[in-house]
Amino acid sequence: MSVKAFELVPAVERDLLMGDKARINIECIECCGKHLYVGTNDCFIHHFLLDEATSSKGKLIYSSQKLLHKYLGLKKPVTELRAASALERLIVLCDGIVFLVDMVTLETVPSAAGGGAKIRGVTAFCINENPVNGDPFCVEMAVLSSKRRTVQIYMVYEDRVQLAKEVSTPEQPCAVSVDGYFLCLALATQYMILNYNTGASQDLFPYNSEERRPIVKRISREEFLLAAPGGLGMFANAEGVSQRAPVNWSESVIGAAVCFPYVVALDESFITIHSMLDQQLKQTLSFRDGHILQDFEGKVILASTKAVYVLVPLPLERQIQDLLASHRVEEALILTEGAQRNIPKDKFQILHKRILQQAGFIQFGQLQFLEAKEHFRKGQLDVRELISLYPLLLPASSSFTRCHPPLHEFADLNHLAQGDQEKVLRCKKFLISYLGEVRSTEVVNGCREDVDTALLKLYAEQNHESLLDLLASENSCVLADSVPWLEKYHKYFALGLLYHSNGQDSAALQLWIRVVDGDLQDSTRSDLYEYIVDFLCTSSNLDLVWKYADWALLKDPTVGIHVFTRRPASKDQPELNPDDVITYLGKHSRALLLYLEHLVLERRIQKEKFHTHLAVLYLERVLSLLSELPANEEQLTKARERLQAMLRESDLYRVQFLLVKTENCEQLLLERATLHGKLEEHDKALHILVHQLRDFPSAEAFCIWASSCRDSAYRQRLFHLLLGVYLDGSVPGSAPSAAGSNGGEMEMAAVDLLNRHGEVFDAVRVLEMLPEGWSLQLLKPFLGRAVRASMHACRTSQIAVGLAHSENLQLLHDRLKERKKPILISEKKGCHLCHNTFSEPSVVCLPGGVPVHTHCVAQRARDSPTKRQLTNSSNHT
Amino acid sequence: MPDVSKMKKPDVKVVLLGDMNVGKTSLLHRYMDRKFKETISTIGGAFFLKQWGPYNISIWDTAGREQFHGLGSMYCRGAAAVILTYDVTNWQSLAELEERFLSLTDTALQDCIYALVGNKADLTDQQAQLAQDPDGQPQDQTESRDRTDTLLSACPTPPDSPASLSGVHKQVTREDAVALYGRILHYKGLDEKSSLPADKMCFETSAKTGFNVDAMFETLFDLVLPSILRKRNENQRSPTVDLEEYREVGSKRSRSGCC
Ligand SMILES: Nc1nc2c(ncn2[C@@H]2O[C@H](COP(=O)(O)OP(=O)(O)OP(=O)(O)O)[C@@H](O)[C@H]2O)c(=O)[nH]1
Ligand SMILES: [Mg+2]
Repeated sequence: MSVKAFELVPAVERDLLMGDKARINIECIECCGKHLYVGTNDCFIHHFLLDEATSSKGKLIYSSQKLLHKYLGLKKPVTELRAASALERLIVLCDGIVFLVDMVTLETVPSAAGGGAKIRGVTAFCINENPVNGDPFCVEMAVLSSKRRTVQIYMVYEDRVQLAKEVSTPEQPCAVSVDGYFLCLALATQYMILNYNTGASQDLFPYNSEERRPIVKRISREEFLLAAPGGLGMFANAEGVSQRAPVNWSESVIGAAVCFPYVVALDESFITIHSMLDQQLKQTLSFRDGHILQDFEGKVILASTKAVYVLVPLPLERQIQDLLASHRVEEALILTEGAQRNIPKDKFQILHKRILQQAGFIQFGQLQFLEAKEHFRKGQLDVRELISLYPLLLPASSSFTRCHPPLHEFADLNHLAQGDQEKVLRCKKFLISYLGEVRSTEVVNGCREDVDTALLKLYAEQNHESLLDLLASENSCVLADSVPWLEKYHKYFALGLLYHSNGQDSAALQLWIRVVDGDLQDSTRSDLYEYIVDFLCTSSNLDLVWKYADWALLKDPTVGIHVFTRRPASKDQPELNPDDVITYLGKHSRALLLYLEHLVLERRIQKEKFHTHLAVLYLERVLSLLSELPANEEQLTKARERLQAMLRESDLYRVQFLLVKTENCEQLLLERATLHGKLEEHDKALHILVHQLRDFPSAEAFCIWASSCRDSAYRQRLFHLLLGVYLDGSVPGSAPSAAGSNGGEMEMAAVDLLNRHGEVFDAVRVLEMLPEGWSLQLLKPFLGRAVRASMHACRTSQIAVGLAHSENLQLLHDRLKERKKPILISEKKGCHLCHNTFSEPSVVCLPGGVPVHTHCVAQRARDSPTKRQLTNSSNHT
Repeated sequence: MPDVSKMKKPDVKVVLLGDMNVGKTSLLHRYMDRKFKETISTIGGAFFLKQWGPYNISIWDTAGREQFHGLGSMYCRGAAAVILTYDVTNWQSLAELEERFLSLTDTALQDCIYALVGNKADLTDQQAQLAQDPDGQPQDQTESRDRTDTLLSACPTPPDSPASLSGVHKQVTREDAVALYGRILHYKGLDEKSSLPADKMCFETSAKTGFNVDAMFETLFDLVLPSILRKRNENQRSPTVDLEEYREVGSKRSRSGCC
């Protein structure tokens, strides 16, 4: 639990004071700047000049030079010495008398004319370091006397002392300390605080001063340190409240002082040093014949009976480092933080950060990652300090060098783990999570590259799933450094991503292609081929697309063609010219077909070239299937369906061109019929369908298709045409009942056609066309419908006539009603034309029942001769 | 670990009093560090700073040993709450509260509140054996859970009297504590009706399992808040007129006036 917080340095050696005179002892000391005064039991005062120097080893040493010694002439020990430097006086207590001595000459100051410079019967006195009166040439002093139960307050001047106040105490006081108006007193059985101005008192706690020497030590403004029962050092403020926890020194303490953050106490054989921050005993120094411990302006001076020493605090930083060196992180931090108010703010911050970082590394070394992380965070650690522990993680290009002096004792991770691979792994896991957390914060400003590269390496090495996330998002990984690592761990897909984010798409593609082709092993993506296609598809670099599409198409044309067909249409994406693509796809027939389908069927590009090309490709496919032996019926059917659909639905391809191509092929009659249909050569088409193919349903379907976007007259014409073809083909004169023969078949078809699509036909013309001998029975459905339709039309028109008539009547009725309304005129009403009032009952009414003078109307009629008179005269009043 | 931030001035003081060995230090450890660990008998005293919302509460752990008895009054000076702690397995520890410790609280604030806390309830009550502390040391929890398990299987029906687990007898009942609370109020010259009820201010806790520990401290903190607020107000009282405050008083008045 120990810290080296102080060092005991000799200041005045024995021989300088008393030489070999054994009976002479030190009784009291006073230090004021460099001036050290020592009072002895043989009534001498010795005056030394104390010089501070630093030894070659960097240690503080003191050398003292004796200036003077003076016998006071009382033959009694000098009990107490206090300097009043502003007055150049020493206040001396000797033989129960307080008197003044010149600080330089040590001559006793004679009493001034007006008042004495001596106080008699004194047992103890103390100086008020926080005096209430503002006079700099006056020192305030509290005095205890042997006879009275009082405390006297004196003002000490250059040449006299003057009683200012006297307060009584409940018991005989035996020790006193003062701050402002507050006296802190040790009485016979207790301590108390006494306000000498108001007389108010506050008991602190019981203490038997006869049994054990009391201590009342002012440690700061209105705060005192007291010896308490049970070997405690208790703190109490002027209100009688303890604001700090006590320290446990020893039962027989002679003197105590505070040298922040430590309480230093002296007993007969030891100096004990406790921290006020955690109450713990931090250091013990053995000290024989200890007699005096006092602090003077922050300097702690001790004396044995024979010699004087200075207790030199080691620099705070050194103490903290010592604590850290023994891995006492908690204490080191307490000490650092406790020192906050004693160190300038900016200096403190630097120190605090550094200690936090060091603490973090100690905990890191003990694999206490949670705590370590917290300290790294609070200490704003440059993460590279941590990264640099891991061999090879920092990129070669990094400018980082570890801070000096080093923050930790580890050479690297291997040194730290001492070959324990489990430890190494845990440290790596920690770094992964730590870097992952900080990489998006400002902590990594200025070293983003180092952090990202390190993270990439760790991810690759640990086969970590976040590798791809890192590379797919914005990152600063250094390419040169990352390539070998990713290669080493076969992370080719990731490497490709890195190339990509570095603008080297070509390199990325080459690498991925090698993986797909099996030259390199990386199982990151089983669908890497599709990924590449996708990549090309979205790539804005057309050169790349042209370069690698070939490979993709060779691999699988159906997927590979996506390079061209799935390019997202956007403004910043350069367009591919379809003609170029078609040229490019020349040798990839399958892909070409897919591409054309994409253009024609999906994108519906209305360009003759593409349509013709696609139709030709369909045709060629059908032709090639036809030439196969044995024929693959299923494929053939499919291919023909496609061809037919194309021929039917597109209006752009060059019909003639295709017609020529199908000319010699007897198997493609249906297609030819369609082509003729496109050319509006319906008779040819129907001829093929009816006579060559004898496919009547198709013939019918043809009529419907060919007239699908036309008016009903067009359709009618087609159906009549078909009917004609049927009738021409039948053997004239024979009854249609004779099924089986060619002619009979046609007749049946004609009958079916009529019966099924009767509504399309012009029944009258049909009747004219039909051969005489046909039975009514056969045509009954057709005729029935025709008659019904004609009846229907007739009746519908009769209804329409009736309705129109009734509407007309209704209007007539309304008009009459309107006219019958009376039109009122009086002498007060004015004519709408001349605005004069009416004087006689006969007026003329304008349309809408507006009455006007007859002469006004006449006038108007005269003025506009072209206008026909619209008015009706009325005699109503 | 004592709090370094003690340089901050605490807003209010809470003091733990009670005979040695009753578990004052253990209660504080449990509450502050969420752990039950080895203690040594406290020397002198120690204190902790607890952040409670925007306030700093200083909690003083005093030494129960006779030797340090004299310091008690000083620790209690200005306290807003005093936790009088006894050990439920030790009748004398309750008696000492009345004989020795109660008079120490004379220096506490006028409106100081008092809580009576019977610790080590885990030794006498099954209920207190179940660890309550959600973030306590897992080791502790399993330990106490294991014990409960064996215990439950060992006695399928709960024992008739709550006493005698692990051979220790409950020497202080809740009624004893409630009665003492009444006498404390009497000693303080407080009216039972206008004071906090014994029901609310008598606790049985276990620093070992964490039973009722948070509840006890936090009930007290909530009760001392008014004291903190008042103290703040006193400190802030300044020669400048606070218009806001004035208006509030005025509006309150008018509100009461209209009803
Ligand atoms: N079973 C049990 N033991 C406890 C409990 N609390 C404390 N102890 C034990 O009781 C003993 C005393 O505990 P402390 O917390 O040191 O007691 P204290 O009141 O602080 O004692 P002083 O500091 O001397 O006044 C220790 O051995 C603890 O382990 C508890 O809730 N249950
Ligand atoms: Mg304790």
